[in-house]
Amino acid sequence: MTDDVMRFFAAWLLTHETADEGVKAAIRRGQEAGLEGMGGGPDAFVDGLAAMIEEEKEKLKAELIARAKGEAPASEERPDPAIEELRFEVSALRGRLESIETKLDAIVRRLGGE
Amino acid sequence: MASRGTHIAGVVARRLAAAALRSAFGLRGRGVWRRESATAWRLAFEELGPAFIKLGQLISVRPDEFSDELVAEMQSMQDAVPALPAPEIRAVIRSEFGREPEDLWDGFEDEPIASASIAQVHRARLKRAYRPVWGEELPAGARVAVKVIRPGAAEAIRADVAVARRLAERAVRLGLVKRFDPVALLDEFAESVERELDMRVEGRFADRFAFDFRDDPVVQAPRIVWPLTGRRVLTMEFIEGWRLTEVDAVLAEGVDFYGLAVHGAEAFMRQVFVYGRYHADLHPANVFVTPENRIAYLDFGIVGYLTPEERYNITQVMAALVYRDPDRALAYSEKLGVHVPPEKVPAVRAELGKLLDALARPGEAADEQSSFAHFGYGFLRLLGRHGIEIPSGYGMLIKSLATVEGCSRMLYPDIDIIGTTQPFTTRVLARALADPAVLRERLPEAVRAALRVLVA
Repeated sequence: MTDDVMRFFAAWLLTHETADEGVKAAIRRGQEAGLEGMGGGPDAFVDGLAAMIEEEKEKLKAELIARAKGEAPASEERPDPAIEELRFEVSALRGRLESIETKLDAIVRRLGGE
Repeated sequence: MASRGTHIAGVVARRLAAAALRSAFGLRGRGVWRRESATAWRLAFEELGPAFIKLGQLISVRPDEFSDELVAEMQSMQDAVPALPAPEIRAVIRSEFGREPEDLWDGFEDEPIASASIAQVHRARLKRAYRPVWGEELPAGARVAVKVIRPGAAEAIRADVAVARRLAERAVRLGLVKRFDPVALLDEFAESVERELDMRVEGRFADRFAFDFRDDPVVQAPRIVWPLTGRRVLTMEFIEGWRLTEVDAVLAEGVDFYGLAVHGAEAFMRQVFVYGRYHADLHPANVFVTPENRIAYLDFGIVGYLTPEERYNITQVMAALVYRDPDRALAYSEKLGVHVPPEKVPAVRAELGKLLDALARPGEAADEQSSFAHFGYGFLRLLGRHGIEIPSGYGMLIKSLATVEGCSRMLYPDIDIIGTTQPFTTRVLARALADPAVLRERLPEAVRAALRVLVA
């Protein structure tokens, strides 16, 4: 039983290690290709993506360290995109109405002049 | 209509006769004749006015249908015409608003600052402050640009399109044009020009553009003054700066050219890949560099729209370009309406592979042969050679991408355009792949593939 558990965790560790090496190799290929050019094909895209995820991971790491030290900047309050979109739509509608009102004034002026 | 038709034929014949003379009736070689005749067509189009200038712009994105010389000439066509006298422009303003320019703006200048085939632009100042649809308030006295449709431009274009349509119908009946439908092309052209003739459409897009880039302090669009805008008159914020054609003037001003070139390219990609609506009339005269180190986009007369599906497929084609993946390029071009018959796929794929190989690598500055433009137009030509129809919009998009590259290189000649594009497209695709709907569609296949690898 103990052997089975040990075997299970060994297999789990091996899978983890192999996957980790695979990802690291993809990151390396992606980074190298970034400098020397892409070999082409779907694998190149996956490698490129891996290299970018690595960059993102490093950023996240730096951010967490800074946060632990209390150096992280206060997260910016971004307005809700749906509310912003609505505000824009209403504002655009106002613009249209202003233009129509000008046209209406012009027509009234023309009729008044006739 | 007949007399206009005769006039058109007369102008073309005169220009071509002069070209024939210059090339010694072809005796100086076929190449010389092709170049001279292409120049003759361009000069004839410029002389024939707005409809033909716009038609020339359409030809400039169809290297699959027209010769390289003609496409190059049409790309260099100048949309600049002599200015109309002020009384004619003032009459348009009076008819649009029922008031004199002096009642609407302060210091309206009769001398235009720009004059093109469809409209001309005059400077003025706002009488009172205005809160635009998006962005900060424009104060009283702020400088504005007043764009006025030239009187008669709309009627002249419509009449010319009608003549051209009749000729096209005749050409189709006689079987002179087989590979593409000139009537459909003209209808599409007429629709696009109609939109351009309504200044309010341009104003709405400028507002939308400003809203889309609200989080980007580097990108700017003029704010529109709606109470002074109508179908034929557009009042917008006057942007101080230098056109890309005048960049030499800014060399001494401490502008970050590299940063602006990269940012300009990214801003365009954001329009195409993220929003699906893009400035489709980009040329160096429509992009300004401001003293505040910003990029200002002007003249939103021609706009391209993409559905979410088209946007995704175009992003995939772009990823295929930067990662040199001909299969991906063909698969997603197919979804965009480029149908390559199965028997032609191997040949097209091989030629496409060569074009992709010629593209610059990330980290390299692109030259003439390794540019997006060379690839894009080469791809269109390749499709044309194989008799493959190109859907409308595809050519316009390739031209726009090539122009973005051209504008970026104008700012910074050694820009690494592939290196700029690669992270952007990768990020957009990664975001698209994280969409639950896409994941649901792809996950079963991914699991099967993983199992295949595990049990192999």
